Formats: sequence, structure tokens, C-alpha cells
Amino acid sequence: MRPFSYTRPSTISEAISLLESGGATIGESNGESDSIGARSDRGNLRGDDRPRLLAGGTDLLPLMKGDIAEPAHLIDIKRLPELDDTILMSPEGITIGALASLAKLEDDPLVCSMHPALAEAASLAATPQLRNMATIGGNLLQRPRCWYFRSDKVNCWLKGGEDCPARDGENQHHAIFSVSPCVAAHPSDLATALLALGASVEIQGPAGKRTLDLDDFFAPPTDERRLENVLEPTEVIVSITIPTASGAAQSAYLKAMDRKVWAFAQVAVGAMLVIQDQRITEARLVLGGVSPIPWRATDAEGLLTGAAPGRELFDQVAQVALQGAVPLSRNGYKVPLAKALITRALMAASTPKDVSA
Amino acid sequence: MIATPPLSSRIPVTLTINGRDHPLLVEPRRTLLDALRHDLELTGTKKVCDMGNCGACTVAVDGQAMYSCLLLAVDCDGRDITTIEGVASGNELDPLQQAFIEHDAFQCGFCTSGQIMNLHVLLDRHDNPTDEQIQRTVTGNLCRCGAYPNIAKAARRAVELKAARPNADPVPSGGR
Amino acid sequence: MLPFRISQQGSGEETTIEVSEEDRVQTWPEDARLTVVGHGHGRLEGNQKVTGRARYTYDVRLPGQLYAKVLRSPHPHARIERIDTTAAEQLPGVHAVLSSANAPGITWYENSSLFDTTVRMIGDEVAAVAAESEEIAEDALRLIDVTYTPLPFVVDLESALQPDAPKVWEGGNISQEPKVYDRGDADAGLRDADVVVDETFTTASVLHNSLEPHGCTASWEGEYLTLWNSTQSVFTIRQEVAEALDLPEHRVRVIKEHMGGGFGAKQIAWKQDVLAALLSRQAGRPVQLMLDREAENLVVGNRPSTRQRVRLGAKRDGTLTAISAELVQARGAYLTGGEASNVSGIYQTLYKCPNVHTDETTVYINAGPAVAFRAPGHVEAAFALEGAMDQLARALDIDPVELRRRNYAEIDQTEDKPYSLPEGLRLCYDRLTEAIGWDTYQRPEPTGPKRRGIGFAAHDWAAGSGHPPAYAWIELNGDGTADVVTGTQDIGTGTRTGLAQVAAEELGLPLDRIAFHLGDTATGPYSPVSSGSATQASMGPAIRAAALDVKEQLFRVASTVLEIPADRLSARDGKILVDGDMSRAVPIEDIMGQISPATLHGRGARGPNPSDLAIRTFGGQFIELEVDIETGEVTLHRIVSAHDIGRIVNPTVVDSQVIGGITQGIGFALTEGRVIDHRLGLVLNPDLEEYFVPTIADVPSIDHVHVNVPDVKANTTGAKGVGEPPLIPTAPAIANAIFDAVGIRIRSTPLSRDRILAGLATAAEAASQKPEVPA
Repeated sequence: MRPFSYTRPSTISEAISLLESGGATIGESNGESDSIGARSDRGNLRGDDRPRLLAGGTDLLPLMKGDIAEPAHLIDIKRLPELDDTILMSPEGITIGALASLAKLEDDPLVCSMHPALAEAASLAATPQLRNMATIGGNLLQRPRCWYFRSDKVNCWLKGGEDCPARDGENQHHAIFSVSPCVAAHPSDLATALLALGASVEIQGPAGKRTLDLDDFFAPPTDERRLENVLEPTEVIVSITIPTASGAAQSAYLKAMDRKVWAFAQVAVGAMLVIQDQRITEARLVLGGVSPIPWRATDAEGLLTGAAPGRELFDQVAQVALQGAVPLSRNGYKVPLAKALITRALMAASTPKDVSA
Repeated sequence: MIATPPLSSRIPVTLTINGRDHPLLVEPRRTLLDALRHDLELTGTKKVCDMGNCGACTVAVDGQAMYSCLLLAVDCDGRDITTIEGVASGNELDPLQQAFIEHDAFQCGFCTSGQIMNLHVLLDRHDNPTDEQIQRTVTGNLCRCGAYPNIAKAARRAVELKAARPNADPVPSGGR
Repeated sequence: MLPFRISQQGSGEETTIEVSEEDRVQTWPEDARLTVVGHGHGRLEGNQKVTGRARYTYDVRLPGQLYAKVLRSPHPHARIERIDTTAAEQLPGVHAVLSSANAPGITWYENSSLFDTTVRMIGDEVAAVAAESEEIAEDALRLIDVTYTPLPFVVDLESALQPDAPKVWEGGNISQEPKVYDRGDADAGLRDADVVVDETFTTASVLHNSLEPHGCTASWEGEYLTLWNSTQSVFTIRQEVAEALDLPEHRVRVIKEHMGGGFGAKQIAWKQDVLAALLSRQAGRPVQLMLDREAENLVVGNRPSTRQRVRLGAKRDGTLTAISAELVQARGAYLTGGEASNVSGIYQTLYKCPNVHTDETTVYINAGPAVAFRAPGHVEAAFALEGAMDQLARALDIDPVELRRRNYAEIDQTEDKPYSLPEGLRLCYDRLTEAIGWDTYQRPEPTGPKRRGIGFAAHDWAAGSGHPPAYAWIELNGDGTADVVTGTQDIGTGTRTGLAQVAAEELGLPLDRIAFHLGDTATGPYSPVSSGSATQASMGPAIRAAALDVKEQLFRVASTVLEIPADRLSARDGKILVDGDMSRAVPIEDIMGQISPATLHGRGARGPNPSDLAIRTFGGQFIELEVDIETGEVTLHRIVSAHDIGRIVNPTVVDSQVIGGITQGIGFALTEGRVIDHRLGLVLNPDLEEYFVPTIADVPSIDHVHVNVPDVKANTTGAKGVGEPPLIPTAPAIANAIFDAVGIRIRSTPLSRDRILAGLATAAEAASQKPEVPA
């Protein structure tokens, strides 16, 4: 890793001021501290030494070790009293502190009983040790695992270069829905599940707090914003809220990997169904591993809403969900795989659970 | 607020390793793994991938198994850290260590410290974990020699050995 | 008289050496009642390994030790026009910098040099720095300014074979004269066949990924160099490093106590071994140079990729009339001398066949060099041959095990020599079919989209015979304990324990009275490289000979003390017995006490392998699995494995080796493969994140069925090697089981989900178009 300085602020606003200052108030000046607002190459990591927030560190430190991220300052927010890892229930839903570890989500009785998709997503992510370290906030912000992006020998488009080498290269792990010059697949298991659960994220920035639906939080990288989300560089995720569903919601998360465990998703599916009187009254279906952001299958959701659950319908839904897919040279397998997982996830989400489980 | 002076300056931290405090001066970029292996010469914790992909560097931090290659030493100030060197009591092996030998749960031994630390935490928390819990725990540690079946057997055996200990201090089984 | 040692250069020709020390040793008979050998025992170094106290090369910490890092080429092929290391040299904390500008001209890889000004792969060494910490060394690398002129490159086997392909070396991309073997007339055999199978298989390059990387710590005391080295052969390192540095061998000491895996990649000296020594000399301080994971996966070896066209001809009754194999494999940018790969071998020997043709071509590409990887060549070839045999069994409608029995080879057909244990493979077939209940075997019914299948594959392995010469010394101490001193190495395989058991057995001492010393060229006698599954078979007889030497001296002392003729004495469990009578046993320490502080010293050597026999290991595996036809997921259920490895010295450790070999076979079959971008020449997964080695969840229940028939003609212990054999049949057995489950033959490794889904889709399409699918 390149040298950097380390700061442990005591309040969120201190952390935000440090982010705003571009690190100028921490240690030596980097000479570029006033350029933050003017920069348009957000996400362009090369030569970007602006401060970064450190929480679990499970994504940031590998990026730094791999010479992909080069912050000159780290702002450790893990011990900020205003941030926490609590999981609280209110009439509006379940609110999860940004610092909650994946291990906590996977074990939390409330999450397990009300939102099994999230508990499953957490339990299928990474390894026990990484789940002890990684936080839900950081998990939503993790950068793609694309091997071109992660190579210090390739200046891909996402890092500020000209082209995406994966598009015509070794793209077996990449996107089948093309929505950006970048074809990396979004790596987060939690993001897929949380989007299926209709979650929102509370963010604090220099101007105060704002809340965004995850639908709006994730956005395909563009020339101006080479990043998978709309979080500003001076903002901090405070919490995530999963709203209470309109009825008896059931959810499921399924993930296919290159080996049995400890791999990023080839394809993942998060599904949430509310079924009342044998009819689906609300449906959310999200695919992971198929696009630079968690992929909401809106047309398929439309087909589900109002229909009676059943295998035939789900097979049809799976077809519709993959209609727009344009596989790259090496990832055609993701289409049949996604279809199979969609049907299974919907079957799981429509099968009454044993309440005692 | 704790702020640090210029980039590569060293800053003071106190690492509590196996019950002992170690005041150190480290660069912020020094990982806990390197602090253990270089500053403290506790080389039982192994470096393999240094990227959080193998588990060989697993230590217990505040009672949780973590990869020490992805923790900064400065960030571990004041946390309670246990390494493989702190598992045995003097020359008396922990039941898990004993079981690893009995069941030949390693060959080259390079992943062993990490395997034991990860399972050690599990057995501290659950006095009778299920086979599935044991297997799920071991998923966080790669073994290139392929000792996995014996590692699982050793963990199961360690549970028995612990239960048979006269001074066993039973902890209620959690499980999920 | 100790025999002199003859170094075997290049050609691999056998050198016969007279060894008097072994001559008097009687081979343990098949039914010998042994009390230590043949019994399970945990590893002698267990305590050190479970407490973190075992000191590996990576753990060496010497006063003033510096840490080195290597600047590596980011180009697959380029000329270095200019290199400026000034800024790196001036960085505080940097003590030595080496590059083509100041390094001595040391030849490496045939026609290249330590720092060549042409780089031929990403990862090639460009400069090296030693500094007070790894971090400073890394900072210094960033300050080295290199100007490259990129050159055309080629990184895939097929492109490299094209006539207009960029040349890795001026002489072209064919790295060696093609190796052609003919027995009988394969073309005629194919013409005479009732059925011909003609299949082309490919295997991906796979990476050893030993958890401890390659590397060493170098320290000079005057003109004497000590190298702590993570190696499978301390004596090879000594010889090669001494040669490179133009030092006499006695001024180089190589130490390797514990090692975090090697799997074949650590049997030769690599550049970093010399770099560390040079940096240390320049800095005047000890230098540790361990490779990081990326370098480990780029530059110090891999199992090379292959393409294999296999043609089998057979009569209706299954009798093979021809085996023909056209084999191409990548070699990487350099020949290392450590490849030891023989892809042709298994085609020539595993089955009885009068007409065999093999043709093996090796090709340079601009990527990491190939080096031996656990059963090099055989693993790749078995995938193809055993897949083709399964196809042949289907085409003939003959049971796959029966087909193999009908083509049973009793002799080594390449040399026309009988096997030392001709029934070895048959015993494996018998035990395996019995263990799985093959005669009445019923595949479990499909459940939903899940289809069950079972696959079988057999193997032989050319090594296992031992690599003489090898020497051992034993010191019997005044208190009745013994120091066994060898120059071998325990690479994680349990060598210490298995060999100590041989010493204990012969000396009649309990195992806890043996201290086993190895891995140090300064303190132990010459021992060969730990490779080819040969260590137990190489060292065991030498140790027995040394033990017998000591024991005879002990009996002479005892005879004087007890006033009983020596030929009435024997030793067991730390006691000397008269006429085998335990009730008249005298503790060995009591006898030794009579001459203490004098000790008894024994010497032993391993004699040559029998010249009139071929010594092989054989075996096979059944693998049961399930394929999910909707998701392409393969789940292994059970593996049953049997191997003729001679006498099992330590069943505990042998079982671990079998399980471990199969685990690597599972990786080779299902998940592992180096991925290179052909346009960039870039390895995309030189890591443990996207290079998928098996986890605990990928490994099913594995039963090792013991054959355990001592190969009494192989050597005086009757033990052969087990390290490599178990990995050989795993991948073809898995591929054959997939065919059994869903009727598709995947001819390329890894047998990944995308290939299975594509195969299923093709099969479904074919089924929908034609009423009948050919077998």
C-alpha cells in the first residue's frame, strides 16, 4: 500500500468536513485539496488521493493493496458514536445501522424471520471472517470484482480509461444487461436482496440528511460518474431501512457461484412476494451478477402482480425477465441460469413458511 | 478526534495480544498481520494472499474471527487480540490443537493457524456446534493440501475433549 | 565404503551406483509382523504446527534482516530500453538495488539471464530492491523508471502454433524437438478396429498455489552463504545457486525445516534465490525475498495447458487394437528444467495394446513457465485417455471396469519389463468394485432436476520407485535415543513421520525415542529432491540400512556385556531380547550406558532400483455425483479411491495424502483454470479470489480403500509413493460421471457450469431435432 494518514473523527460532521477538505486538514497538504467540487472524474481512481472512509475495510484495503485506490488519507468511522450497528423495528419497518456487520444480519432473529432474503444474502456472502468485518454500508458501496478493473496493469474505462476491455474479452463473470460503457457485474449480495425488499438508505452530507430508495441510489456508471451509485464523495451512509410490506411478505435469495461457497455471484436472485387470497398483490424481483447495478426486473414484476402464484407463471416470468439480456462472448450461460434461479426463488417466496422456523 | 501527522509518519498504538499490551509505533498502512509478524515477531499467523482471500491470517479480535491482513494495526488499538500463540496454556495444548494432531488435520501446516483460530472462536461460543456450523466456519479458510475432512473431524473431536475436561466451563449453545 | 555420487546431467539417463550399505538388508517380507511401520501415527511436528511455532522460510527473522521486492514486467513481451533506479536507491531505508544495470551476468533459463533486457512474460524480473520494510521496498519499486518497447506476443497454445505467430524466441515457438513414440503400427491398428473413438480434449493451465509462496532468506558470513529456502530440494538449490554465483558448494548452506506446500513447483532454484543472495551481499545484511501471491501465480510455474487428440481402436470384444495420441502442450516463455512432464506416458503404458503412437509437441507462449505439478503430464493425459476409454466402453456397450480388465497390462510395454507387482492394478479394480458394490450398483433415481451419475477412471504413475542415491546416518545415544540424520525434506507430506517409523522399526525403538533431522545441507548427507512420490521409497531403505548398521554394532556391544552371542539378540520396543524372549529383555539404554559417552554411528545408502523390473503405482476411483440440469451445478457425493502404493507405512498420513490429492483433482476438474486475456497477454486471476481452489464445501466424503500389498521387489521396505497418484484419475472420473448422469461429454477442463449448461443445451437441441441420439 502507498503511505496514507489515518484519522479517527468523533462525529459524523467532523468526518464530512474531512471529506470536504480533501484531506487538507489532515497532515500534509496534497496540493489538490480545493479541487474536489471541480472534479468531474468521480470514480476515476488513478491519481485520486482524496480521503476515503474506512469501516470494515474489506473492499477498500484490497483496492489500496492492489494499487487501484490511492487515498492519501483514511477516515476511520468504525467507532463513531453516531453510527451504529443496531437493528431496530418501528411501524415503518426495520432500520439497520450502517455499521451492522454481515454476520449480525445473518444471525439476527428479526431479519431471519421477517426478511429471509437478506439473511440468506448475508450468509452466502464471502466467508465467516469477512462477514464479521464487513459492514452493510460498505457492502452497498463495494466496487466491482471485474478482473480488469482489479488489475493494476489495465486502465479500464471505469478507472478513467478509454475502453472496457471486458466487453470483448474474458467476460464470463460480466453483465448480460448492458446499461453502461462498463460491463462489470455488481458484486453485492446484500444490494440484490435489499433492492428486492424495497429498502432505502439514509445518507448524511454537508447539507444534512437525505433518504434515497435503493432504486435511485444505484445507477449505472456514466462518463461523468464512473461509479455504481450516486453517493457524493462527501456523504456518509447512516442507515438502511426495509419498509414494512403491505401484507404478509415472503422473500428469498438464491445465488449461483463458481464453487460451492466463497465466490461472487455468477447470478443471484432476490425475490419478494406479497400474496393475499391466492393472488400476488406486490412483487419485486431483482437479479445480481447480471449488470453493473442490481437489476430490477420491472416487466417481470408487472406480470406477477395480480396473478396467481405457480410454477407455470414463474417460468413465464423468468422468460420475460431475461428478454432484454444481451450476453457477451463468454457469459451466455447466465441466461438459462438466471431463468432457473428466478423460478426457484419465486417458488420459495410463494411457499408458506413454517412460522416456528 | 485523533488525527495523524504526515503520511508515512509512525504513530503510537497499543496492541493487546494474548492478554499482553504491546506499545508500538507503526505507519498507518501497516496491517495487523504485518505488525504481528514484523513488529512483534509473532510469525505463527501466516501471510498467504494478503488480500482477504485465503484465511491463513485469521486471528480473534474482540472474540470474533477476522482476517488480520485486512485490518490496520492503528485500527486495532485497544482491541483484544488472540493469535495462535495464545491458544495453548503454556505447554498444555488446547483441545482443538490436540484434536488437530490426533486427526491429522493438516499436512503442510501453513493454513493451520488460521483454521485453528477460526474454529477456536466457534468453540468458544458454542459448546456443541452442529456439523453444519463447523463446515460453515471452515469455509473461511483455504487448505491447499486438502485436509478438510480431517479438520471437520478434529473440530468434532475437540468438542468431545472440551466436554470431558473436568474444569470445562460450559457456555450455552447458541446456534442459529 | 560409501558409494560416490554421480550427478545426472540433462539426459535423464540412469546411472548405476554400487551401494554396499544396503546389500545386507533383508527386504521385509509381505507378511512381516511390524510393530511401528504400518501403524497410524500423528505427525512428529504436529505440536509445532498447531501452536504456530513451526518456523517456515517465511518466518525467518534474523538481526538486521531486510525485505526485498521485485519489479516485474507489465508487458508480455518487450525490450527494456532504459532503466533508472537512482530515485529508488536514494529512498531512505533502501539498502540494495539490482537491475540489468548492475547485476552480474548470470545465465538463466537456457538463453536468458537473471535480468534480461528482453522480457518475455508479464511478471519477468526487471529490478529488485532490499529495504528495511516491505512497505519501503514497495515504495522504492514505484520510483524505478523503466522505458519499454513493446514487442508482439502470443499467449495461447493454438495461436502460438500458427506459422505467422509472433515468436517468443527467435528460433520459433516449438520449444523442443517433438517427442514421437511408436510401438507396432497404430494406423493399421485403427484400420483393423471394429470401433474407433476419436476425441479431442483440452485441459486448462492450473496454478499450484502452495500457501507458502516461493522465497528465501539469504545471509552471508564472510564468503559463506546460508539460504533458508522454501524448497523441495535443499541439495538442488545448493548446487544451482553455487553454480550461478560461482561458489564452491561447501560455501552454500541451504536450510528448509518446514514448508507450506510445493506440489512440484519448488524443486529447482528460481531467480529469487540468487537475487536474495546478491541483494544480501550488496547490503551487507540478511535479506528475505518471498514472492507475493501474484508473482507466485505468474512466474514460478504452472501445469501447462494441453490439447490432446486421442484415437482408440478396439475389437467388438473390447480388445484394444490401437492407441494414438497427438499431444500439444504450452511451456510458457522459458524452459525451466523442472517440468518433468510426460503427457505421452500413460497412453503407452496403462493398457495392453500392440499398436501405440504418441506425438508430443511443446510450445512457447509469452506467459509463466511450466513446471512439475503433482503427477505432471499424467493428470492432463488421464483426463483425455480415461474419457476416451469411457466413450469406448459406451460405444461397445461393455462395462467400463470390465473394458479395462480386458486390456490389462502385466508388463511395462515400453521397456518390455515386468512390473514389480503385476497384479497391483487388478487388486485396485477388485477392491474398488467391491467397495462400491459395482456388481449390483443402482444409480439413485433423479429427484426433480437433479440427475445422479457414477464415473470410473484408472491410472498408473511412472514414479514411486525411488531416486537413488540417498543416504542416512543414525547416531544411537548413550541414553538409548537415536538421532536420524538425512538431507531430505518434509514438504508437508509426512516424510518425517513415515521415515522415523522405518528407523524405529529397524532399531527396535519406540517412535518417541527418535529425533528426525532433515532439510539442511550442512548437517545431513545427500538426499534427492522430494518429488515423483519418491521420498519414502528413496529414503526408507537408506534409513533401514543405517539402522541395521547401528543395530549390529549395538548387538556386538550387548553380546560382550551380556555374554551371549550376537546372533541370539534382537531389539524391540527399546529393549534387547535374547532369543526373542520379552521376559529376558534388557533396556537398550542399559547396554548403551556401558559405553557412554561413546555413541554408535550407523550409515546407510539407497541402492539402485532393480534393472530388470518396472516399478509403478496404479489405482482408480469411482466418483458419484449429481448434476442439476437447470443450473448446471455439479455436486459431488462420494469418492472411493484405491491405489497400489506398496506397503502402507503410516495409514493416517497416507489417507491424508489420498484425500489431499483428490481435493486438488476436484479443483483441476471443476473449478481451477488460469485465465489469460489473449489481447493483453495478461493473467486475469493470479490470486485466490478468482482462481478457485476447492473449499471444504466442495469436497465430498472420500474413502481410501487400502490395497496395502507390499511391493517386495521394489525396495527393502516394500513401500512406494502416494503423493501424486490419487490426483490422476479424479478429473476423468468426474467427467465420466457427468456423462453417466446427463449424457454429455465435457472434453475441456474445468468442467464449469457454463460448459455444462452449453452441453445440456446442445444435447437438448439435438434431441429435439433427431429421434435418436447416437451413443
